[in-house]
Amino acid sequence: MIPANRKFLLTLLTPALLVLLVFVAAPVIQSIILSFHRIIIGLPQLKSPFIGAENYRELLHDPVARHSFLVTVFFVSTTTFFELLLGLLLALLINHRFPGRGALRACILVPWAIPTVVSAQMWRFLFNDAYGMINYLVFADKVSAYIPWLAAPGTALFAIILADIWKTTSFAALLILAGLQIIPEQLYQAARVDGAGMWRRFRHITWPLIRPALLIALLFRTIDAFRVFDLAFVMTQGGPADATNVLQLYGYKKMFVEGWMGYGSAISVAVFAMVLVLAVVYVRMARRRLLEATL
Amino acid sequence: MTWLKKTGFLLGILLSAAFSLVPFLLFVSSAFKTQAQVTAIPPELWPSFSIDFFRSAILRYGILHYLANSVIVAGSTTVATILLATLAGYALARLPRRWAHFSLMVILACAMFPQIAIIGPLWRFLRFVGWLNTYQGLVLPYVALTLPLAVWIIALFFREMPQELEAAALVDGCSRIGALVRVILPLSVPGLFTAAIFTFIYAWNEFFLALLILTDPAKQTMPVGIALFQGEHTVPWGEIAAASFITTAPLVVMVLLFQRRIVTGLSAGAIKG
Amino acid sequence: MKIIGLWVTVGIVLFSTLMLNAQEPQTIVFLTWKPNQPEVWERLIQQFHQEHPQILVQMQIGPHSSTESHAVVTQRLRNKDASLDVFLMDVIWPPEFANAGWALPLTSRFSEEEQKKFLPATIAANTYHKTIYGVPSYLGAGLFYYRKDLLAKYKFDPPKFWTEMLVQGDAIVKGERDPALHIYAAQFKQYEGLVCDMLEFIWSHGGHVVDPQTRKVLLGEPPSVEAVTFVRDRIIGRAAPRGAINYEEPESLEVFIQGRAVFHRNWPYAWAVANDPEKSRVAGRIGVGPLPAFTGHVSASALGGWQFGISRWSKHPDAAWEFVKFMTSLHSQKILALEAGLAPTRIAVYDDPEVQERMLHLKHFLPAFKRARPRPTSPLYPMISQELQRFFSRAISDRETDVEGLARATSERIERIVQMEAAVQQ
Repeated sequence: MIPANRKFLLTLLTPALLVLLVFVAAPVIQSIILSFHRIIIGLPQLKSPFIGAENYRELLHDPVARHSFLVTVFFVSTTTFFELLLGLLLALLINHRFPGRGALRACILVPWAIPTVVSAQMWRFLFNDAYGMINYLVFADKVSAYIPWLAAPGTALFAIILADIWKTTSFAALLILAGLQIIPEQLYQAARVDGAGMWRRFRHITWPLIRPALLIALLFRTIDAFRVFDLAFVMTQGGPADATNVLQLYGYKKMFVEGWMGYGSAISVAVFAMVLVLAVVYVRMARRRLLEATL
Repeated sequence: MTWLKKTGFLLGILLSAAFSLVPFLLFVSSAFKTQAQVTAIPPELWPSFSIDFFRSAILRYGILHYLANSVIVAGSTTVATILLATLAGYALARLPRRWAHFSLMVILACAMFPQIAIIGPLWRFLRFVGWLNTYQGLVLPYVALTLPLAVWIIALFFREMPQELEAAALVDGCSRIGALVRVILPLSVPGLFTAAIFTFIYAWNEFFLALLILTDPAKQTMPVGIALFQGEHTVPWGEIAAASFITTAPLVVMVLLFQRRIVTGLSAGAIKG
Repeated sequence: MKIIGLWVTVGIVLFSTLMLNAQEPQTIVFLTWKPNQPEVWERLIQQFHQEHPQILVQMQIGPHSSTESHAVVTQRLRNKDASLDVFLMDVIWPPEFANAGWALPLTSRFSEEEQKKFLPATIAANTYHKTIYGVPSYLGAGLFYYRKDLLAKYKFDPPKFWTEMLVQGDAIVKGERDPALHIYAAQFKQYEGLVCDMLEFIWSHGGHVVDPQTRKVLLGEPPSVEAVTFVRDRIIGRAAPRGAINYEEPESLEVFIQGRAVFHRNWPYAWAVANDPEKSRVAGRIGVGPLPAFTGHVSASALGGWQFGISRWSKHPDAAWEFVKFMTSLHSQKILALEAGLAPTRIAVYDDPEVQERMLHLKHFLPAFKRARPRPTSPLYPMISQELQRFFSRAISDRETDVEGLARATSERIERIVQMEAAVQQ
């Protein structure tokens, strides 16, 4: 073992930490401080009194926030599950050598390369109840049968979930693919020589070794899914009747539209806390696998 | 057996490609339609192959200059993030367990906060240092927002590499930095490229911060530019579709060119051999 | 090409100005959203440059939607951003901007005599506590569009009442035997536009949200509740397509100009679009008039439109005022009317012979404009609007909703907001 030159290593770490401190940590701390004040930007005469945990107390009793929380949790669980599943399948597919593999890899990047706001517009266009392509593909020319996808609470949420899965599956696929490529080919060859079939090779070689990559994908997908904003903002503005009013959209409306800076910050801190708890749980579950060198 | 596997395989490929491309193609086909065709009820599947929308998107809406800005911002972000993340990732892979674990969690925590809450204080800070409407005013926050994922990916890659390689290099007379650059780096290229793609696409796609920090049209990036295509009550679907096509194509081409770098790597068995 | 040329020119001039750190010309920053006809605006700005060579206007484009635009503008103003001089305000913003001290009071520059030349409703929208904070540029009011060819075919006159519209619509849809034809298209998505549309129904039933005189919240009273119930039961999914719950102006207009709706509610801009043969399949076959009302009541339109405001923290208020004065002058408003189809706020423009000749429909709009009613004026209007949006969206999208109960609950919340505002006006 090489004796760790701690000072050298810490120096390497510093630039990254510095950038994070100035551009993320400091604003986050300021946000947290704001969440303990009452600030209404439309009424500057009220100044910004310190009110302790009042915002959080109100948040717990806010029916709209509770509903937003449920909508968000549903969104997170559904999208993360499908994205990881489809991402895993895609990654396994691409990991094989076949002609046109590079082209397929480029294909799956297309959904992800489009800016989220543009893809949200695109789905809004496709899901339109009168001139949307989705209705056309399902019902052809029978205009009277067209479904107004974005107009009913259930289908609106489904539309957003589909849009997100379309967009982000390739993110999961690429991450898992990177994990797959660390696995040395010899292991598979040895297993094949020993007579192991496809499923057994997957279960005993692939699955254990991609768990770190899967964990990263799960972790970061969950974090991002909890903070979904662009899709709901562009496609439905949180409607109909708040059916797609995800937490960050609600926080945005409170903060930037209505001017409740303190309360909006409290919502953000609440989202942060929830995600933090989840992350700690995930990491603890896979702790041994992730941070120790394999084999 | 193999026939079944082969068909299943082929089916998988076709489905994946279709799933990724079909919605996009449906939308982009509008870029080749005429104005009345775009929102026809019921929709018309085949465009009339007019390039009016492309002309309009480029000349009237200036999509190319937004594209240039996006390339500058996303490119700078990627270079900076990968640089910092490589150093940090290496450090975290070699530090004692507890330090590494703690630092990784702290870095992760930085990725968890909703952007809408950060933007307020961040904006004020940027105004204070006079960096509003400058490229660095957007790039540096982007670096901060993409560092966590990049660091985690790269740290994972470095972790997987046993320390014997560095030991060998040091014995051969390399400095620590030299060992890093000459021995470790080339082997971790798949990880670096993966992190680079994630970073680039994040910076390419990001909307909210770009909207509030770069308000000067000369500097606005593409997502903002396309979002601002919308007039007071008009949604120029044709131009938006054309612009989406113009901005996605270079990315796809880029990936096609670089994807070979991602393929070669550790699976060659260099480590275990 | 010209556009790029202009941008490059402006950009180069701006850049060199900053480099030379010159005292003049002064640069003022004008924040707007993308106009429907940007060339017209740019031409006006060029004309301004010719008349005032010492002042350079840099146009910055922000988001198009009223809500997003509001977020961007208020973000800069409340942080005392001195790099913003002139901005456009939606008709509902002046009270908020005035109360928060973001907009510069214009009493010394915008005389009462001059104010009288504008439509009174627009001046009222810009006035807060007897001080004027903005100059109206163009206005909007909810208008009623209809297929005059279909009405003529079935020998109907444009309906004066909502029930009349439903009856006519039924007859037409049955007669045309087109399963994809709807009676009515309008905006019912959960956004600001929903408030406009619903208020028009409520007002035309004699109801109020906030009584302008007494400041009492009357959302839970029978006239308002009945109007909302009417929309839920007779309009959504019946007269209007179910998908209208996700319509903003563009989608609802698309339905109309594709020939899929007999009647349509929209702002004045829709007239030009609907008559443009390149975009519309019903060009030349539409009529326009005031919105229907409920029997025994008067038609009501929601007031819309945009005004110029000057930032409190602008370093060049005089230059900014010159620009605002120019852009709202008789000359500019006439050009905006003739070339961009924007309804002027100066009364004189309506009497101009050229305008009358080329834009005859503007004269038709004038009665509706004069009757246009503002949404509740309050510095906390964004909060009130959010409550209303939530209420209206829930009420109209779910047949099971207890409209009255929900209305009362929302009333209480709006009451609290109004009280908050009153407590501050000591």
